[in-house]
Formats: sequence, structure tokens, C-alpha cells
Amino acid sequence: MNRLEATRVLAASVGDAPIVASLGHPAYDLFAAGDRPQNFYTWGSMGVASSIGLGLAIGRPDLRVFVADGDGSLLMNLGSLATIGSTAPANLVLLVWDNAEYATTGGQPTATAGAADLAAAAAALGIASSVTVRDEAELRQAIGRAQAEPGPWMINAKVAESAPRAKPPLDCVFIKQRFMNAIGNPESATTGGAA
Amino acid sequence: MTTVASIAPAWATGVCAGLRAAGCRHVVYVPDNPLSHVLRVFEQEHRDVRLVLATREEEAFGIAAGLYLAGARPAVMLQSSGLGNSLNAITSLLLPYQIPTLMVISMRGDASEWNAAQVPMGRALPAILDAMGIPHLRVESAPQAEELVRQAAVTAFGTRTIGACLLARRMTSVRA
Repeated sequence: MNRLEATRVLAASVGDAPIVASLGHPAYDLFAAGDRPQNFYTWGSMGVASSIGLGLAIGRPDLRVFVADGDGSLLMNLGSLATIGSTAPANLVLLVWDNAEYATTGGQPTATAGAADLAAAAAALGIASSVTVRDEAELRQAIGRAQAEPGPWMINAKVAESAPRAKPPLDCVFIKQRFMNAIGNPESATTGGAA
Repeated sequence: MTTVASIAPAWATGVCAGLRAAGCRHVVYVPDNPLSHVLRVFEQEHRDVRLVLATREEEAFGIAAGLYLAGARPAVMLQSSGLGNSLNAITSLLLPYQIPTLMVISMRGDASEWNAAQVPMGRALPAILDAMGIPHLRVESAPQAEELVRQAAVTAFGTRTIGACLLARRMTSVRA
């Protein structure tokens, strides 16, 4: 299973639910799997995709919020696992596309190429529903459980690199306003308001 | 009956009132000694305000961004030293996406500081905010606190910018 194949499994499983994607290849593959307004593509802020997802999950408990993170990104913000574990939003599903490399920057190995186990870290920091999956069938099953059972969930998907060739929209404000409109929180300038 | 508000420093009750008046119902924070007064007022007097503890300031800004996408008006409370931990999320997420938040910064390194390790960032902080184009104002005394915080929040959320309120140490280090 490469990351694009895994991303397609995710996109096909979530219906209209929002997906927050970490910068670089996770965002590129989410775009390649099918652009949709409910995709929030980050273009920077490496490491904080899971934090954005946490805030969204806290603020919109009626939505199931998915995050497509990378192993290198999550390693930059491991404290996020402790915050997710202690705030325990039932509606947050953190997926990590773990290819054991910094693929966006040239393929340098990450700590998961060695001894680091991010699902074990998530469990140790309070995310009880933490699993590692290695093929599409396991991923599909884990996402199904994460939609049916209360979270927070952490699904660490071992993936191969997929060399994306397309990029999401470059306009950050467009991404934000399209996303907020799609999930029912339009900014006033996109809807008009009282005089 | 003695209420928490009556024993909390007046500046702290003012900060809480200003945030609530501006519609903030979510506060993401990394702890700080003076800010503990603000947290206690929220916990005991304003249970409608959700407090979210972050492990690090950059994480707090990410959580605040998600809260904004969810339709909330988030505030981030931090010590001045924590601005250094926040710059990447501020400059590559909140600013380019025009995601507003109100920063409430407990100052170290200004008048009455005794810890040399707090001084360089405390002194540099206004210039760092200026370099990022983030408007900031200083809250120097308790009677100003509510209105200055409210005004800063109105501007931040109305114009989709980050705003910063700097709580002067000479105010926060003296008990009311």
C-alpha cells in the first residue's frame, strides 16, 4: 500500500466529513485522491495538523474529524498526542501515513525507520484506540471502527512513498473559506451580514 | 460570601471580562504564574469558557486555528517566553490563512524582572510582533484591562488578524 492508495481508501470512506492534511505529500495525495471543499490543505506549520484537527473536533463535536498526518510531522509535535489523549475528543481520528522518511524533502529517514513506534507512543500518551495497519484491508477496517466507535483514534498506516505529481490550490484564504463554508461555518465576508 | 472574583487580582477579572465580552468562549493556554489567576476566574466564575491546556505554545496556536475553523473565537494565553515556540505556526498557518486569534501574553523581562533568562525574549517581543505585522498593546493597570482586551479582540476577529495584549509584569506581579 502506498500513501496515495491509502489516501484513496480514506477519501472513499468518510463521506462529507472534514479531513485536515499535513503539508507536502500528505496534502498532495489528498488532492490527487479527489479535491473537495471539506479538505483543509496546510501549506506550512509542519507538525500542527493534528492540533488543527483537535481544535476542530472540540469546536464541532457533531462532526467526525479526520487528520492525514505524516510520521515526520507528528514527530515534530509529539506533545499533541498527550493533549489529544487527555482531552479525549470522541470524534477525532488521527491517521498517520508512516513511510519512515521525510519524503517531501528528499527521503531522509525518520525515527520510525528505526525503533520509534508512533501507535505505541499514542497509546502510552492516552489514546487508547491506537492501531498500526499495513494493507488496504486493515486500513479500511480500522477506519470503519473509528467511525462506529468513540475515539479519539490513532491509526498508524505503514505506507510506501507515492511520488505525487499534483498540488492542491495555492491560495490559503480560498482553502479556508471553501472549507468553512462546506462545514457550515461561513466567514461573514463570504455570506454577507447585517448592516 | 467571598467570591473568587473578589479575591482574584482586578486585572485578572478584567482580562476574563474582556475576552467574554468579545465572544471568546475557548481559551487555549500554556501555564504561567500570573495567568493562573485568569484561569481560576474562568474555572470558578465563567464555566461557559472552555479551557484547553497545550503542551507547547505552537501546539496551542494549531488548536486555536482548528477552533476558528469550527466557528469559534479562540484566545491563546502564554508567557512571553513562549512566543519563540510559536513563530512557525503563526507565520505559516494563522497569518497566510488569515485565521484570527487573540494572544494574551504574560510579560517577563520587563520592569521588575529578576531572571536574566527571561530578559532577551521579553525585550525583543514587541519588535518580533512588529516584524510579523501583529498589532499589540500593553495592559499596564487593572482598570484598563477589560476594555483593552475587548477592543483588541474586536479588531482581531473583525479584521481577521492576530492581536496581542501584553500584560505588564509590574501589574501582574503585584497582588491587587
